[in-house]
Amino acid sequence: MEIVVAIKPVPEGETRLRPNAAQSGFDPDGVKFVLAGYDESAVEQALLLKESIPGSRVRAVSFGPGPRTEEVLRAAIALGCDAATWVEHPVDLLPDAVLSARAVAAALAASPPELLICGRQSGDEESGVFPGAVGAVLGVPSLGYAVNLRWDPTTARLTLQRSIEGGLESVETALPCLVGLQQAWNDPRTAKLPNILKSRKAVIEKIPWEQSKAALGRHASPTSVRRQFRLPAPRTGARMIPYDSPADAAQKLVRALREEAKVFP
Amino acid sequence: MPDFALTEEQRSLQDLARKFARTEMAPRAAECDRLGRFPEEVMRKAWELGLMNLNIPAEYGGSGLGLVDQCLIVEELAHACAGMTTSVIANCLALEPILLGGSEEQRRSVLSSFCSSYHLASFCLTEPGGGSDAGALQTRARRDGDHYVLDGEKCFITNGPHASLYTVFATTDPALRHKGICAFYVPRDTEGVTPGKEEEKMGHRASSTSTVRFERARVPVAQRLGAEGDGFSIAMRTLDQTRTPIGALATGIAQAALDHAAAYSLKRQTFGKPIAEHQAIQIKLANMAQDVHAARLLTWNAAWEIDQGRKGTLESSIAKCYASDAAMRVADEAIQVFGGYGYMKDYPVEKLLRDAKLAQIYEGSNEIQRIVIARELLRPYA
Ligand SMILES: Cc1cc2nc3c(=O)[nH]c(=O)nc-3n(C[C@H](O)[C@H](O)[C@H](O)COP(=O)(O)OP(=O)(O)OC[C@H]3O[C@@H](n4cnc5c(N)ncnc54)[C@H](O)[C@@H]3O)c2cc1C
Repeated sequence: MEIVVAIKPVPEGETRLRPNAAQSGFDPDGVKFVLAGYDESAVEQALLLKESIPGSRVRAVSFGPGPRTEEVLRAAIALGCDAATWVEHPVDLLPDAVLSARAVAAALAASPPELLICGRQSGDEESGVFPGAVGAVLGVPSLGYAVNLRWDPTTARLTLQRSIEGGLESVETALPCLVGLQQAWNDPRTAKLPNILKSRKAVIEKIPWEQSKAALGRHASPTSVRRQFRLPAPRTGARMIPYDSPADAAQKLVRALREEAKVFP
Repeated sequence: MPDFALTEEQRSLQDLARKFARTEMAPRAAECDRLGRFPEEVMRKAWELGLMNLNIPAEYGGSGLGLVDQCLIVEELAHACAGMTTSVIANCLALEPILLGGSEEQRRSVLSSFCSSYHLASFCLTEPGGGSDAGALQTRARRDGDHYVLDGEKCFITNGPHASLYTVFATTDPALRHKGICAFYVPRDTEGVTPGKEEEKMGHRASSTSTVRFERARVPVAQRLGAEGDGFSIAMRTLDQTRTPIGALATGIAQAALDHAAAYSLKRQTFGKPIAEHQAIQIKLANMAQDVHAARLLTWNAAWEIDQGRKGTLESSIAKCYASDAAMRVADEAIQVFGGYGYMKDYPVEKLLRDAKLAQIYEGSNEIQRIVIARELLRPYA
């Protein structure tokens, strides 16, 4: 069985993002892109399944510009993925989740995977659209918010749990299907040094943008375009109101709210 | 000239080491320092991730990294805890003599076992009677048929109590000085081999240090590295390889001190503004940054020289000596930036000063490095 795990390079958690000159997104200069959050859990889940299913392999796939996309795919290989497909797009394309889903689905169309795993949302945009959209384009059922995937070889069915209010729901499904994973329920492994060295030499299958564009036809552009990317306005300082007694505090606070902040008349 | 731009591969090695340092080492550093606890769990994890036997070639199952790569890793580890780092890299020091002086069969049997499962090894050169003058060592190796009988005591041996193998330097005849020294590898379970008790140290308290005694320890001739009398050269060539990573270790300490001091200086207010806005503090930080950069670049330069297949004696001595002196200066100034808090054990900077001190002493004291540097630099003028 080939398990495909879809991943996305996202800025490292501690990064301080700056808007680019056009204010259409953040400026990628100097930003370090990593495999993070939900995607790390997704790769871990794919590898755990591979380890429990003899003869299975894991392919990582990512739609994005170079070199960051190639780097996260190499990181996935260092973690234990057997192969990787880089669906390339130009750095200035700024795709949305629907275009990403279409491009990934197009890349997989030639040999659709039985099981496609992804994080339930990306670590940067967090829109959560991608898993459902890929499922829709590929015409396979998708299950979100899942944890703890297990494959039963005798029934040839996949079981998983979904977090619902107050508990876990157990689901059993046939393949093919797509699963969007809940974050960090597993403890993602760290790549070992020799595997990092090996991953540098791995051959990554590359699908050029021209090819995706031809396959996508009129769908080869984003369905939604970000108008503006701004940082939140800096927070202004809080003000401490000195007081003598609780009653005094309440009175001063109400006065400040009414007369200065004009919260109520 | 070396190319200072790191490759993507080097960046991923650095990332791995940084992640390990932050998640596994840093959270335990203060506790291990306070209690003098050797974190076995960290050592094992470092081994599992391939961070331990960095210098062992791939053909024996190691990572076979060059010195620049090793230095990148060592700096990251030392940023979190120099003591743990000393213990993590002690295998490189202890196994290098086997790489340099061992036969193919010896290398295959010993080095492969270190790569296929977790073991520690110790390098046993220093003796109570002296470390700097290694040619004067007194541990005896008397030939008895197809064995040598070892008698003597080694001291300040990193990982001594935890090692399963010792590389030992001993002399067949002290009167021969350098020419009488032989190198051996001696499994811990050899009869007559006893590690002593843990030393209580000023710094590097997460690292374990002890004496190792040899009393009528019978070592097969097959465990001698190279020929009789090759030992001194093997020891010196080993230190030629391992000195540069000590520069990286010192750079890691210095960078940590600068990081702490810079962050603190922006938070601490005096006279109505962050101390980072007082010029006296800015000058300190600027000097610290110069030291850190110089230490790192000298270290990379030495590592690169050696990676090119040259001896790099001058460069590695300069790197080790400069970086360790720099680490002392920078850690000292970091404490000054912290003021009274810097002197308290609840804050991380006083540990850095205690840790930096060792880098001036071990793997050839800085006095010895300066002797070497002077000898090398005078050569073209003679
Ligand atoms: C924590 C720790 C871990 C260590 N780990 C190991 C290990 O794993 N394996 C190992 O073999 N050793 C190890 N050492 C030993 C270390 O390498 C020696 O301490 C060092 O080489 C100095 O030797 P010494 O202590 O005998 O000092 P000495 O050689 O007695 O020197 C004393 C002082 O005199 C100076 N000096 C000596 N000769 C000269 C000279 N010709 N000119 C000018 N000044 C001189 C020295 O620089 C020093 O300042 C370790 C030491 C420590 C503290």
